[in-house]
Parts: sequence; C-alpha cells; structure tokens
Amino acid sequence: MEDYKYLFKVVLIGNAGVGKTCLVRRFTQGIFPPGQGATIGVDFMIKTVEIDGLKIKLQIWDTAGQERFRSITQSYYRSAHALILVYDVSAQPSFDCLPVWLREVEEYASPKVLRVLVGNKVDRDDREIPPAVGEGFSRMNNMYFIETSAKDCSNVDKLFQEIARELIQDANSNDGPIGQQDTTHLDGAAEKSWSESNCCKS
Amino acid sequence: MNSLSNIQEQYQRLNLEEIRITEKLDLLMGQQCDIEAKLRNVSLLVPRLKSVKSDAKHLSGMIHFTCTLAENVSAKVRELDIAKGRVSECQKRVNDLLDLQLCREGVISAMKNEDFEKAAAHVHRFLSIDETTLKLTAGDIAQGPTVDSSLVLLHEAQAQLCKVLQQKFDEAVRDTDAASVERFFKIFPLLNMHEEGISKFGSYLAAQLKEKTQKSLRQADGESTSVRANVYFADTLTVLLESVARIIEIHQPLVETYYGPGRLLQVVEYLQPECDKQANQILVEFRRSRQLDKQIHLVSEVLSNANKALHEKCDPRILDAVLAELTLLSSRTVLYLRFLRRRMANDLEVGITEEQTRDLRMNEFEKLLQNKTGINRAVQELLGHYIMLERYFLVESVSKAVAMDTAVEGSLTSSIVDDVFFLVKKSIRRSLTSCSIDSICAVINNACTLLEEDYALVFQQQCKLGFPSGYLDLTQAYNAIQSSLQQGSIRLQPSDTEKTKANFLTALNNIETSIECIETLDKNVSHEIQINLGSTMMSRDQEKIKSCLAGFQTSKSKFRHLLDFGHEQLKSSAIKPRIKPWVDQLLSVNHVIDEEEFSCYEAQDPFIQELNLHLDGFMSGFKDSLTVNNYQTLIGTLTSQVAQQFEKVIFKTAFNRLGALQLDKEIRALITYLSTTTTWTIRDRFTRLTQIVTILNIETLAEISEYWGPNAGTVTWRLTPQEVREILMLRTDFRADEIKRLKL
Repeated sequence: MEDYKYLFKVVLIGNAGVGKTCLVRRFTQGIFPPGQGATIGVDFMIKTVEIDGLKIKLQIWDTAGQERFRSITQSYYRSAHALILVYDVSAQPSFDCLPVWLREVEEYASPKVLRVLVGNKVDRDDREIPPAVGEGFSRMNNMYFIETSAKDCSNVDKLFQEIARELIQDANSNDGPIGQQDTTHLDGAAEKSWSESNCCKS
Repeated sequence: MNSLSNIQEQYQRLNLEEIRITEKLDLLMGQQCDIEAKLRNVSLLVPRLKSVKSDAKHLSGMIHFTCTLAENVSAKVRELDIAKGRVSECQKRVNDLLDLQLCREGVISAMKNEDFEKAAAHVHRFLSIDETTLKLTAGDIAQGPTVDSSLVLLHEAQAQLCKVLQQKFDEAVRDTDAASVERFFKIFPLLNMHEEGISKFGSYLAAQLKEKTQKSLRQADGESTSVRANVYFADTLTVLLESVARIIEIHQPLVETYYGPGRLLQVVEYLQPECDKQANQILVEFRRSRQLDKQIHLVSEVLSNANKALHEKCDPRILDAVLAELTLLSSRTVLYLRFLRRRMANDLEVGITEEQTRDLRMNEFEKLLQNKTGINRAVQELLGHYIMLERYFLVESVSKAVAMDTAVEGSLTSSIVDDVFFLVKKSIRRSLTSCSIDSICAVINNACTLLEEDYALVFQQQCKLGFPSGYLDLTQAYNAIQSSLQQGSIRLQPSDTEKTKANFLTALNNIETSIECIETLDKNVSHEIQINLGSTMMSRDQEKIKSCLAGFQTSKSKFRHLLDFGHEQLKSSAIKPRIKPWVDQLLSVNHVIDEEEFSCYEAQDPFIQELNLHLDGFMSGFKDSLTVNNYQTLIGTLTSQVAQQFEKVIFKTAFNRLGALQLDKEIRALITYLSTTTTWTIRDRFTRLTQIVTILNIETLAEISEYWGPNAGTVTWRLTPQEVREILMLRTDFRADEIKRLKL
C-alpha cells in the first residue's frame, strides 16, 4: 500500500479552452504547456500533497470541455469529492455557461460534493469578468471561489491545497469512511472564499 | 638607544643575526666542494659542444634537402591527381554527350513504340545530366549545334512524355485499368514529377474508395432481411476501412520503392478526406435508418425527467441492437486509426531523419485525423450517444427487473439479483467491444452509480420496512387488532405477516449475494479487459480503468452498510423483544437454595432447557431462509443479545453458594448448546458472563484475591472493580460491609 491518509477525487469541468488541462499540468508537473490541444475524453493525474503533516493523494480528473464528450465526463461527477468549475476571466461566454454546468452538477453529482468556482487566466490583460462578478456568482451558488493563472502559476497550488484541506475537514466531520455519501448536510450560506486577500492583488 | 633594556634587546638581536649568518656561511661552505665538482664537469663538456653544434648543422641541412625532394615528388603526384580528375570529368562529359545522343535516339524510338518506361528512363538519365556544363562543353567542341538540338529535342520529349503520361494515366483511370494505372504511376518519379504522381494516384485511389463504398451502401436496401442486417452499417464501415487499409498496405511498398520513403502522409492526405466523406455518409445513413436521433431525443428526455412517466418510451430491447452496432462502429474505427498511426510512424521513422520535422509531420497527420468532419470526430460523437443510451438501457432494464422481482423456487434470493447482475455484466461487456477506453470507463462508472442508487434503493426500502415481529404478547396483539378494526379492515393477516417476513429475509439474502456478485463482476471485468485490450493499452489507460474499477469497491461497501442496517433491523424487531421474556424467566427461578432444592433442580431443570428449546425453535425458523453468511451473522447477534440480557437478569437475582453453582451449570449448558449451532467459536461473546459466574462462585470473600489483581495471571478481566463489588453483593451470604472493605 502507498503511504497516504486520504484519497480524494477532484474533477475539473467547464467550457472548452478555459485552461483546465493547463491548471492540472501546472499543479501536477509544474509546467505550462503552450499550444495545448483539446482534451479527448478524460485524462487523469495524481499528486500527493501534504496538509498539516498528513499525506493526501489527489486523483485529479481533467475532462474534455467539448459537447460530444459530455456523457463521458458526466459519469465521473458522482464519485467526485470535489468539483472544480473553471471559466476564463477573459471570455464572457465561458462565464455565461456556468449555470448550464451547475445544472449538470445538480443532476449528476453527489449533493455534498465540494464545489469550487475558478476564474482562470488572470494573467491576461483583456479581462472581461471582474473578480467581484465571479465572487458574486459563487456566493449565490454556495461555492468556493478563487482566481488563478496556470501561466504565471498564481493561486494554482493554493487552489488544490485548500480543496485538500476542506475535504479532510469534511471527512473528519462526517466521521465516516471516505466515499460514504449517505448523510447530507451543506453548511448553510457561510461565506466561502479563500481568496479575499489574494485574488485582487494583481 | 637610551635604556639598558633597549641596548640588551639590540644585542640579543645582533647575536641572533650572527648565529643565522654563521649557519648560512656553513651551509655555503658545505656546498662549495659540490659546486666545484660540477664546475669541473662543465669545463670538461665545453670542448664537446663544438662537435655537437656541427653535427646539428649537418643534420638540418640533410632534412632541408629531403624536404625539398619530397615536395617536388608530391607536387607531381598532386598534379597527376588533378589531371586524372579532369580526365574523368571529361570522360563523364563525353559519356553524357554520348548518353545525350543515345537518349535522344532512344526517346524518339521509345516514343514511337509507346515504350514509355524506356522513354522515361532516357529522360530520367537526361535530367540527371548537368545541362549548363553540357552546354559549355558543347561550346568548346565543334559539335555544338548537335548538342543543342539534342537538348531541345529531349526537352520537347520530356514535355511530351509528361503530357502523354498524364493523358495515359487519366485514360487508364477512366478504363479502370489498374495495371496501367500502376504502370504509369511508376513513371512519374522518373520525370521528377513526384508530387503530380502522388496527387494523381491519390485521387485515383480515393475515387476507387468512393465507388466501392457507394456500391456496398446501395446493397443496404436489398439485404434488409439477412442475418447481418442488424450490423449492416458496421459491416459497411468495416468494408470501407478495410479497403483503405488494404490500399495503404498494397501501395505503400510501391510508393516507397518508386518515390522513396516518407511519402505515405501525402498519399493519406488524399485518401483520408475521401474515407472521412464516405464514413460520414455511412454514419448519416446509419443514424437515419436506425432512427438514432429520435431515440436519443426520447432517451435524453426520459433520463432528465426521471420521475415523469412519458407516454412514449424506448424499449430497451430495441436499443440492444443499436447499442451493439454502435460499439462495433467504434471498435472498427479504433482499429483503423491504430493501424494508420502505426503505419505513419513507421514510414516517417524511415523516411525522415530529423526528429523535429518528423514530429511536425506527425502533428500534421493528427490534425488530418482530428478533422471536424472526420470519422474520428463522428465516432466520438456517436460514442457519446452510445454511453447515454447504454445508461438508459441499464436504468430501464433494471427498473423492469425490479418490477418483475419474484421469489425463485429453491433459491434464497429472488430473481432481481441474477437479473440485475446479468444486465450490468452485459452492458459492461458490450462496452468492451467498443475498444474505447473512455467509453468503457464511463459505462463502468454508470453501472456503479446504478448499483449504488437505483438498485440499492430497492433493498434500502425493504430494510426500512423492518422485520415484522408478530404478536409477542396479548397486549400487543390486542392493540394491533384494535387499530386495524378502527381502520375498517384487518390488514395484518397472518399470511401477510409471513409474506413480509419472507420478503425481508429475501432482501437480506439479496444484499448479501449482491456483495458477492459485485466481487465476481469486478474480477471478471478486469480479467476480460486484460484479455481483450491489455496488449493495446497504454499505462495511462490501465490506470484509468483501474481507478474506475475501484468504483465497485465503493459499491460493495455501500451494500455492506446496507446489510449491517438490515441485521440491525432484524435485531431490534425480532431478536431483542423475543429473547427478553425467555431470559427473564430466570427471575422466577429461586437461586438461593439448599442441597435438596439443588438436587431437585438437577432432576428437573427449572430454566435452561426451556431457554435452549426456545432458541432452537427461533433459529430453526431462520436457518432455511437465510444464506449461510446471513445465518451466521444472525447467530452472532442472537448470542450477543442472549449474553447481554442474561447479564441484566443476573444483576436482578439473588444467589447463595449453591444458587451460584446452579447458575454456573446453566451458563455452561447454554454455551454448549449455542456452540453446536455454528462452526466458529461463540465463547468470546460469553467472556463477561463467564467471569461474572466465576466471581459469583467463590467460597469466601477472601478467595477473590486468588483471581483478581496480581494473581489474575493470564486472565484479562472485562469487569470493573465496581462491577465485581456489585456481583458479590448478589450473594446473600456475603456481608455488604465486608465487600466494601475488599481491596480491588
């Protein structure tokens, strides 16, 4: 057996071209692959992070954003412990599609899945979605929010670290084995943001 | 220098200086004779130096002379070399000139005879000659005009040959004369017309492909009754892809021989678009003929409004055929693309040495495959639909199996278990034939979801209903009848209760068997994947599959929790309430007895035989309706419950020495009996009870120290000192204040 305390499944979703694969590659391999082609189906990477001395294995599923792979990607929602919904801060359409994605999440994912909204590509000059708009949307939909850039690496590690931290807390408070999803309770409308101090620094 | 100390210091220093200088002088004196000897040697050598100098001068002169000589000789050789080179160049030119004449004559006669190979060979020879030098040479010699005219003629011949060749090629194509097509195809590179040749040939092959596919598509209507009708489109696509593969297989060596390696991409650039076009036509026809879009629409409606009953539903059985064909379409495409990629990689490997260019070409090729209207994308789209339809198939078939769930004669489980696992297995197996790892993973994921949600829910509901305990005593029976009378009918007829009981036990068995079934399914599926796809999978694919298969383990643990829940229900509604009155009987048996009563008990057992009889009766009621494992769990629960209840009752009973002995006999009899009901040991569940009895059975209070504390030995006491005191209090013959004084 490998030496880790928890194994969590994290699934990234969102429109094609918002940078899901780049986020994953940046986090797991520390690279930013320019000219990354469209993902076919799903891909997955593994990275072990350490939170407060605990080894956490993150199994990160990177999904294709294109419509024709939707029924493949949907099949991964239910077993996910965390869903990362990514949009591109420089592309309004990718933000406009968020409600559609959320409907899918409601339909297929476990109700107690950790939901995180990520505005990617903050390194770009042609931003179209101000941070406050993203944050507002996340608050309305009871999601965590963070803005990242896979290119200049800002907030990428933080994103996954915080997810791991949050999932450990969930696992401990439910007191059950991981993957058990019987009891459901969402912690109300608590302010959910990791990025208050960070997202606007650029 | 005014103070004494200063003077002394200076004196000291001078003394030291003197010593140092003396040492130095000694050293130099010591060296003197050495140096003198060396000087002598040197003076001896001086006269010899003169002769050495003259010798050296002589040698230098010799070397100089030899050098000049050598240079003279080699210069001649070099000149010879140059001359030889010129001669051979000259010879070549002469040869070229001669060849030019030969070509000229050859071309004329070959053209006359329509021997295009020969003519092309001549032109090829002519093209390999450097024309400008030829002209220069021709200018040097008198033959100038002849050469010029030959050149002109050959150029004309080349142009003519080109024209004729293209014409002939087109003619051959028109006459579908494969041999001639091939013949002329080989001539193109001789005229340095590689691109034209491949372009023409590629178009020719593409046209052939088109014709062939159209022909087999037209047969569709005629063959609707044949056995292969269900997979007709898969067959047609297979024919198409096999044709493309065969074309490449046959013509790649041809291209490689006559055009050189690394040209496959160019050929494929002509073939693939046509292949895509034809494949698309087949797939469009497939969608139309099988009414795929209508089904997709219906199914997505049903799946998204799972609760609403729709008038028109898709019969999963009809889907069966379409699903099978979809997976076939996918597997053929996967195989074809794999073949193409392998071929391309090999060809580029041989043909292009530079790695960067090779990667560039490979990227170009991939782009060709990812074409928006290409077969690759079309099949990806179909697979998306396939996964949704497959999910629907499973959901619908399983809900049917649930609806038609019936008891099976001679089986402890009902039909649902076999049915559902048959369906799941069928579904996953079908996905395996698609050869698409992502689709297989998705189907496995969906199967796990179904097992954990739709399927488990059935049992969860059955378990929640609980096990009807029947009427335990008069009040309960009275209350039940009262309440049913108030509702106007007697609902709980005995047969009803029996049926509910049987249903509950069957559910318990179903859950237990399902755990085994998931285990088997997991094993079989991984095995089959390894057999069917193991050799072609990359390590990433293996990981993906492994991770999705791990979903079965999650499903299994869900069922295990369900099973625990069921047993818990059984415990609280059937075991606990039953056992209590039986064990409570002990209260009515006096355990403060004299010898006479003790032997009386021995003759006629007051309690334990009856309890054992009750337990026996209780268990035999379950033995035949539970699976082995469930029955074992039941006995386990029963045993723990009896032990617990017994303990409670003991604490309400008073004992004397003989009464404790009687209790000891009773517990032993109980343990002996229960041990016969099961193969594994149940003694550990009676540990506390046996310890209580041991404490109760001491002769005097002082004896306790032989068991307790430092004398405990290997015994691990499960009782607290407080409990020990309480137990001792039960003995009527021990005094309370003495018990309190015990040091425990």
